[in-house]
Amino acid sequence: ILMLSLALGTMITITSNHWVTAWAGLEINTLAIIPLISKSHHPRAIEAATKYFLTQATASALMLFSSMTNAWSSGQWDITQLTNPPSCLLLTAAIAIKLGLTPFHFWFPEVLQGSSLTTALLLSTAMKFPPTTILLLTSHSLNPTLLSTMAIMSIALGGWMGLNQTQTRKILAFSSISHLGWMTIIITYNPKLTLLTFYLYSLMTTSIFLSMNSTNTLKLSTLMTSWTKAPMLNTTLMLTLLSLAGLPPLTGFLPKWLIIQELTKQEMTTTATIISMLSLLGLFFYLRLTYCSTITLPPNSSNKMKQWSIKKPVNTLTPTL
Amino acid sequence: FSWSSLGLAFHRTHLISSLLCLESIILSIYIALSIWPIKNQTSATLMQILILAFSACEASAGLAILIASTQTHVSDHLRNLNLLQC
Repeated sequence: ILMLSLALGTMITITSNHWVTAWAGLEINTLAIIPLISKSHHPRAIEAATKYFLTQATASALMLFSSMTNAWSSGQWDITQLTNPPSCLLLTAAIAIKLGLTPFHFWFPEVLQGSSLTTALLLSTAMKFPPTTILLLTSHSLNPTLLSTMAIMSIALGGWMGLNQTQTRKILAFSSISHLGWMTIIITYNPKLTLLTFYLYSLMTTSIFLSMNSTNTLKLSTLMTSWTKAPMLNTTLMLTLLSLAGLPPLTGFLPKWLIIQELTKQEMTTTATIISMLSLLGLFFYLRLTYCSTITLPPNSSNKMKQWSIKKPVNTLTPTL
Repeated sequence: FSWSSLGLAFHRTHLISSLLCLESIILSIYIALSIWPIKNQTSATLMQILILAFSACEASAGLAILIASTQTHVSDHLRNLNLLQC
C-alpha cells in the first residue's frame, strides 16, 4: 500500500501544471515514506524519521508560500510561468531543501544512516525524482548564478565530508549530494543532460544498494570480508563503484563528460575545471571503497558462504551497461 | 508567515514547538489564500479544501512521529536527537 501511494504521489507531481497538485503529490510522497523509514523500532530510525519529516514539511510549506506570492503578483497558478523574483528565490530554496543540495544538505546523511538499506535506496533515488521534475519545469526562470553556486558547493561538500566516513550509508549519502550538484549545474543550459545524469545515477545507486543489501555490509570493516560470501558480486560491486566515481571506460564517465562539454560551450571553463577538481575528492573515497572490498585480503581467510540471497541477478547486469 | 518560519528555524528544545510553528505556517498560508479571492472576486475554494486536507494529514503524521520519538527516546528535548553521529 505504501509503495502504491509513493508511486501515486510521484505521478501526481510529475503530471501537474498547477502548483497545488505538485504540492499535494510531494506531501503524499512525504507521508508515504515516513512509515517506511520508521518501520524498525530502533531509536535511530525514528530519529531519522523526525528529521526527515521536519525538513520535508518545511520545504513543502515554503513551496506553497512561493507559489502563493507568485499568484498574488501575476494572478496565475501555472507552474511554467514564474514572474516574481522573490518567489523564484524561495522556490529554489525549497527545492534545494527537498533535494539535499548545499547549503541545506544537513539532514541527508543522518536520515540515510538511520533507515534500512532498501528505504535508503528509495529515499535517494525515487524521492529525488519529483523535485527534479519541478526544477526542470521551472528552470528557465530561476536564478542561474544561485543554482550554479549551490551546485559547486554541494559537489565540494559532498566530496569533502565523505572523506572520513566509515559507514557505507553515509558515504552513499555524500555521493548522492555531489551527484545532485552535477545535475543542477547543467540544468539552466541543457535540461536533457540533467535527466540523463539522474537516470544513470539512479541505476548505479540501485545496483550498489542492492549488492550491499545482499551482503549486508553497513560498515567498511564488513565490506572487507564480503568477498567470502559471493565473489562475483564483489567484483561487480567494485566496477559499479568505479563507474559511480566517473572513470573513463565505465558508464559513469558519460554524464560528466557531456556536462563539461556543455559548460565549455557556454564559456564557463573555470566552473568546469573547478567541478572536475572537486570530483577528485569523491574519487578518493570511491577508490577506498573498492580497495577495501576487492583488493585487500582479511587476516584469516575463511571461505564460509554465509548468506544466500536472491537479489543477485540485477547487479551483474547493471554495471555492464 | 515569516514570523512562524523564523520560529521553526530557531526552535531550541521541545519538538512540539516546531510542529506548532509548522502548523501556524500552513494556517497563515490558508488564511492568506482565502482572503485573496474575496478581494479579486474570483473563487478558489477547491484549492482551499485540498490544502486543508493535506495539512491536516501532515500534522497528524507529525504528531505520530512525536509520540514514537518520546516512546524510544526519554523526553521531548532536541538534545536527545544525537544518536546518528558521524
